[in-house]
Amino acid sequence: MTLKRVRLFVVMAIAAIFLLAWVFPIIWSILNSLKTDQDVLAYPPKLMFSPTLEAYRDVLFGSAAILPNLISSFIISIGTTIITMLMAVPAAYALARLRFRGKRFAGFYVLATQMLPPVGIIIPYFLILRRIGWIDTYQGIILIYLSFSLPFAIWLLVSYFEDIPFEMEEAAYLDGATRLRTLWRIIIPQVRGGIAVTIVFVFLNAWNEFLFAVVLSGNTVRPVTVAMFNFVSVEQTLWAKLAAVSVLAMLPVVVLGIVAQKNIVKGLTVGAVKGGGRR
Amino acid sequence: MNGRGQVRFEDIVKLHGEFAALKGVTFDIEPGEFFALLGPSGSGKSTTLRILAGLDAPTSGRVYIDGRDITASDARDRDIAMVFQSYALYPHMTVYQNIAFPLEMANLSKAEIGPAVKDAARKVAIDHLLDRKPGQLSGGQQQRCALARAIVRKACLFLLDEPLSNLDAKLRLETRTELKRLQRSLGVTAVYVTHDQEEAMTLADRMAIFMAGEIQQIGRPADVFAKPNSLDVAAFIGSPPMNLIPARYKDGGVEIAGHRLETALKTGGARDVVVGIRPGAVRIGADGIPAIVELIEDLGDTAILDLNCAGTLIRARVSDGNVPREGAALSILARPHDIHLFDKTSRRRL
Repeated sequence: MTLKRVRLFVVMAIAAIFLLAWVFPIIWSILNSLKTDQDVLAYPPKLMFSPTLEAYRDVLFGSAAILPNLISSFIISIGTTIITMLMAVPAAYALARLRFRGKRFAGFYVLATQMLPPVGIIIPYFLILRRIGWIDTYQGIILIYLSFSLPFAIWLLVSYFEDIPFEMEEAAYLDGATRLRTLWRIIIPQVRGGIAVTIVFVFLNAWNEFLFAVVLSGNTVRPVTVAMFNFVSVEQTLWAKLAAVSVLAMLPVVVLGIVAQKNIVKGLTVGAVKGGGRR
Repeated sequence: MNGRGQVRFEDIVKLHGEFAALKGVTFDIEPGEFFALLGPSGSGKSTTLRILAGLDAPTSGRVYIDGRDITASDARDRDIAMVFQSYALYPHMTVYQNIAFPLEMANLSKAEIGPAVKDAARKVAIDHLLDRKPGQLSGGQQQRCALARAIVRKACLFLLDEPLSNLDAKLRLETRTELKRLQRSLGVTAVYVTHDQEEAMTLADRMAIFMAGEIQQIGRPADVFAKPNSLDVAAFIGSPPMNLIPARYKDGGVEIAGHRLETALKTGGARDVVVGIRPGAVRIGADGIPAIVELIEDLGDTAILDLNCAGTLIRARVSDGNVPREGAALSILARPHDIHLFDKTSRRRL
């Protein structure tokens, strides 16, 4: 009994350390976003302070508001997600089900694109987009985001499609359904857990993306991850505003995480438990 | 309904690369008939069913339904309903939605679908489960749901791929009887794939015995049992299987363990044959083949004896009252028309 207790204590202690390491930056951001710039820089750090929403008001509606950048981030992320899913679902279905020449190669290619280091392709991407005049445009950034989100989404979805027994589809054909109707009525409803997981991942990847955005965006289309650095300049760093933007940028991620939590847990266990992801 | 569901399989060949799954299969099924495709696994019976359903295309040969060549038509255009071994119920839909699905695909109105679904569910006694999802049903109920989905459409042909194999023994017997009654009452043609000879024997009007991609024999179960036309069919049909004993045929008789048995065959001459005697046809009596009882399997109402006849094992089925003791010496006989003779090289019935 005591040994069990000791073990539980050790496990809890380790978990607490990890939790602290993860949560600390978030708490730091939230606390500092509620301070004035003077309070942020106070030394020793003030634990007791009168919270203010001034930083939020400034970053949303002030002279250097990042509201347009948040909107840009949403347009880019949602656009990337929609186009990715529209293409990835049929592609993953094809890879999982159909027999065609070069299928193995296509499967490998999809994965191989994930292995390229982004810094290696960022300059060519920049040159290409500049040549076609798509620098600092939504279509340009979304196109580049598709180049990594699409293979990733296909790769993720294929396993979900493979999980559905062939007979289910054959039963639908015999029941008089076309392939398209079978996909829509029989297959997709059963992989909706996997689709939800994929949507979350694709959206988050696009939302969090920084490296490509910083090179390919400009003054017209600038996602919030890039725009945050407006508050970091040579003379000073506006910590409170920076923290406020961080918190705002985290919000959609947190909301999406909570909304999709059930599906994510179910989706992630698909490979582990046979048939776990269906129903 | 009558007059629909006539099937003709004409010289169907199916190759998987080098491997011939079907080597020229031909048969006819009459409307309203319960036709079983029986054979060991890998014999081609399931391939035959899939080709009939339109899920696989034959390499060569033609398939006709009601005189129409459907070899090239899609599964969904064939008006065929099928019950899969795994049932293949749609897990995200309720029982009602599952049964309604084929009607929806046929673009029937809601007003037509509702009564038809309830009627089909009532026929298989699951009309109280219509709001459940398949995952909430027992194995037997899932099976009924699959049946209801198949009969709701009033298709011309009803295919069943080992539909009872996932049920426990007791339920299997019950469902078997019900299946037969259902098929009779609907008057629909049914094609039934099974590796269980008992299922085929009890359910089928006629059956085709598949071996290694070929049909060995087609006929009524009783006829196939009484007159297997090859050694392989003889060995496959019957439980326990037929005793098959290599022997020398001479002028109407065969010699087993030094004892001559008269056969129904009256041709003269001598040749090497395989003698087949069903365990149930082995009789214990005087002046027969001497045998020692080596082992007794008591089945309650009958018992299976393993008899050693000078080195040859012969199994006999005896009724409850006549069970000897292990180690007892006795003599066995068989009536001439209970003795099946097969050519040793061609393996055909003589």
